[in-house]
Amino acid sequence: MTPGEPLVRWDWIASHAGEIGQRVGEHLELTVIAVAVGVVIAFVLSLLALRIPALYGPITWTTGILYTIPSLALFALLIPYTGLSLLSAEIGLVSYTLLILIRNIVAGVRGVPVEVRDAARGMGYTDRQILWRVELPLALAVIFAGIRVATITTIGLVTVTALIGQGGMGYFILLGIQLFFSTALIVGALGSVVLAVLADAALVLVQRALTPWTHAR
Amino acid sequence: MAERAGATVELREVTKRYGDTVAVDRLSFTVPAGRICVLVGPSGCGKTTSLRMVNRLIEPTSGEILIDGQNVLADDPTQLRRRIGYVIQQTGLFPHQTVAENIATVPRLLGWPKERIQARVDELMRLIGLDPERMRRRYPAQLSGGERQRVGVARAMAAEPPLMLMDEPFAAVDPIVRERLQNEFLRLQRAQGITVIFVTHDIDEAIKLGDRVAVMRLGHLVQYAPPAELLAHPADDFVAQFVGSDRGLKRLSLLTVGGVELAPVDRAKLDGAPVLPSSMSLRDALAVMLSSEAQEAPVMDGDRYLGALSLQQIGRILRVDEPA
Repeated sequence: MTPGEPLVRWDWIASHAGEIGQRVGEHLELTVIAVAVGVVIAFVLSLLALRIPALYGPITWTTGILYTIPSLALFALLIPYTGLSLLSAEIGLVSYTLLILIRNIVAGVRGVPVEVRDAARGMGYTDRQILWRVELPLALAVIFAGIRVATITTIGLVTVTALIGQGGMGYFILLGIQLFFSTALIVGALGSVVLAVLADAALVLVQRALTPWTHAR
Repeated sequence: MAERAGATVELREVTKRYGDTVAVDRLSFTVPAGRICVLVGPSGCGKTTSLRMVNRLIEPTSGEILIDGQNVLADDPTQLRRRIGYVIQQTGLFPHQTVAENIATVPRLLGWPKERIQARVDELMRLIGLDPERMRRRYPAQLSGGERQRVGVARAMAAEPPLMLMDEPFAAVDPIVRERLQNEFLRLQRAQGITVIFVTHDIDEAIKLGDRVAVMRLGHLVQYAPPAELLAHPADDFVAQFVGSDRGLKRLSLLTVGGVELAPVDRAKLDGAPVLPSSMSLRDALAVMLSSEAQEAPVMDGDRYLGALSLQQIGRILRVDEPA
């Protein structure tokens, strides 16, 4: 840190408001794409695991390994194949969401009470109708818990993708490190945390709107 | 009210085997249209398995199940189930749907028009004593145990099925609510004329609700008879034990005072004795007479004097069917 420099230079923040806004946009875009693609892939794999229970082990094993690869190493590994690109960033981000999402979708559907499923079958629901009209709606609360964790995790990880030139709040963190400039560092780090908190709150609201029966009294 | 007849149900030599274990062994009986048949027996006797074979939640290993002469095994299981009401102990109401949506389940599956569904839901809610305006939009979690069970019955009746299957529907509620639900159910069933197959482990419930009672043990049908017959002539020691040592008294509750032969005693001699309405059960009459220490009591059908009932006569009825 340069001596005599204040921790936060408000004039710098004010003069860079436009750029901060742009980086927030990039950060959100990277996050939304990753979670959306992650949900689609996880959904397909979860249905597979629910239909063929023997696949659940291998699926969680594979996604579990993906989850444990350090993010920096994963991006470095991808560069020779997909370069310093959005694709590299998203491959990494998506693969980190899968384990949490799959676990929660499968647990949510399996957690539907036996008697509810039995009544549905006994009244003439087909297997497909049971899945779409009974099991998935009732699993929504648990699925959303997974989406919230995946979203927060992704928002944190997106800061790392600045290293492969994808911008986002990580850009300010890198800038701060390179220039020994605390204001940029704090904008990047704090901005990412604020985004995570706001995104989580928004998801809670969406979940409450989608599952009115869980809070009707 | 739709006055449609219930279906006749016939089981022929129905067997369910799991590997070497025989869960249900050559079960045969017929339930006449519009009647309640209660399957009763200790746990593991095969009563629930038998019930679930009727709507093919369990596939029989062999045998035939006929509903109005049609073999259910020839039908598509999903279509079959939409024509048969189904009620279970834990209700299985959909927690994410309102009372109205729950009741509308089968009519929606059958593609009824919206107005018809709404009218039927309101009609059923009134029949089970829930105010449609107030309760329609509630979720199952907002109902009491008894209300949930009523909604379960209404849901099963929604598409006017000729047959309902009920698996211990009243076992999870407290005794006072249970008795009220049983009475309501009997009234509904008589009004709608639905045939019912009802599973319970409670012999008193079987005697109260059943037009016919099927006592099962270890996968076999031990006796199939009207309740009074079951109490009067248990087929063997197992049935006698299962219906209980107080079966004589239980039988008294099935007989009314007006249904027995009364002594032509002078009405004037019976002054001071309690008056018994002819519709009173013999069991209640016995209680009234014992507590008022009357040896004889006058039986009245409205204002008309029918004759006198004596304690000795009740005793004779109790003794008449004692096992040899």
